[in-house]
Amino acid sequence: MRLLPPPNARRRWLLGFVLLLLTLAGCATRTPDLAREAPSDLPRRVELTRAPFFAQEAYQCGPATLAMALRSAGIAASPARLVSQVYLPERQGSLQIEMLAAARRNGAFALTIAPRMDALLREVSAGSPVIVLQNLGLPLLPTWHYALVIGYDLGRDEIVLRSGTTERLVMTAANFAHTWGRGDYWGMVALRPGRLPATAGEDEVTAAAIAFEKTNPPDAARRVYAAAAARWPGNLTLRMGLGNAAYAAGDLPAAEQAFRQAAQRHPRSAPAYNNLAMVLVEQGRTAEARQAAETALALGGPSRKEARATLERIAEAERRDGRLNDGPPGPAHPVPR
Amino acid sequence: MMLSKLKRLFIQLVAASVGFCGIAQTAQAALIGTEQVAKSANPSKDRARLLAQLDRPQVVAELEKHGVARKDAVARVQALTDEEARMVAKAMDRAPAGGNSVIGAIVLIFLVLLLTDILGFTKIFPFTRSIR
Repeated sequence: MRLLPPPNARRRWLLGFVLLLLTLAGCATRTPDLAREAPSDLPRRVELTRAPFFAQEAYQCGPATLAMALRSAGIAASPARLVSQVYLPERQGSLQIEMLAAARRNGAFALTIAPRMDALLREVSAGSPVIVLQNLGLPLLPTWHYALVIGYDLGRDEIVLRSGTTERLVMTAANFAHTWGRGDYWGMVALRPGRLPATAGEDEVTAAAIAFEKTNPPDAARRVYAAAAARWPGNLTLRMGLGNAAYAAGDLPAAEQAFRQAAQRHPRSAPAYNNLAMVLVEQGRTAEARQAAETALALGGPSRKEARATLERIAEAERRDGRLNDGPPGPAHPVPR
Repeated sequence: MMLSKLKRLFIQLVAASVGFCGIAQTAQAALIGTEQVAKSANPSKDRARLLAQLDRPQVVAELEKHGVARKDAVARVQALTDEEARMVAKAMDRAPAGGNSVIGAIVLIFLVLLLTDILGFTKIFPFTRSIR
């Protein structure tokens, strides 16, 4: 009885195994070369030396890294106060989605960057430190870690980080790329409202702006939308967001202007006309408001219901105007602006 | 008569509930939120993305290998509602990244799941309306 395969077969197995190892190693040793991956217009060497440093405590690299990124964006933050927002004691770590949400909650315009080395380098060269998720262990035995990339050196092929308890950690580009790659090249920036990431596209910025608007004061949301709408002037959602945020901030003329621009550029957008009508009626301009609301209703679509409600609101205002005009002039007469 | 009384009661009930629905549906006059605007602005992009997948020769070849003509797949994507197109596009985003596995995942979404759902064999996508 033989438990082992014949020697020939065994040798074939061994050969196969070695070949497999070689191919795996082939994947892993593909050395990235920063200078080759970096776009040619980037400076050779960048280091954001003004980025503050907080040494992490215990496993809390998430709160420490986030606090460093927020401070760099000019937002007061400390790791201690962020712990309850991003740290999961049971998992001894922080989830990526919570890092984004917590950055937003604390007033930063946060979004992920494209999972590529050139995007990382471009953000850093534009002055934004990038929070990265690294796996310092092996794929099978992961040791997850957040760190802040604050610089690079194309000539020396190095990445500079604020990491853990090390204020200035220099990693070779290859080493960094491996650990970052095992974290699926996840990276995010946390920006002062009004600044836009250097690499993100129109769709990502729009989605991040909507998320930002939900949890932040309207004035901050206004700055985000204004910057984004200036970069993508044809984007209906951004223009509407600018109007909505201005309205929430109590600035009716600015809201009117944004909705009017949206309606001009997108004459088939019922929401643009509906919101324009609302802002007009609130300024006492019922005749203009009626015209806009009727356009919104005629355009139809999913916002037909809101258009009807707006028309009712206008009818109410018209009745009130009528009563006031018939009767003796009272102090409640709408003041024309 | 008993029947006409019942009938009247029924009519009154229906009238009341219709009236109530009318009241319930009256929306408070308010601005339309940015998120709602984005939702109505994006779907066409999702559809465009799905259709773009069907322009990739590898995807077409793979579909044809399974006996599905490109024009049938295109017609089906055109027939999706905006919300459905968004869901399929999202399912595609969740597909694992990298090389051939993307094409495999796309073909799986289009063919094995979506098209068989439509034929009524499976019910993985809750929104597909079976043609049987």
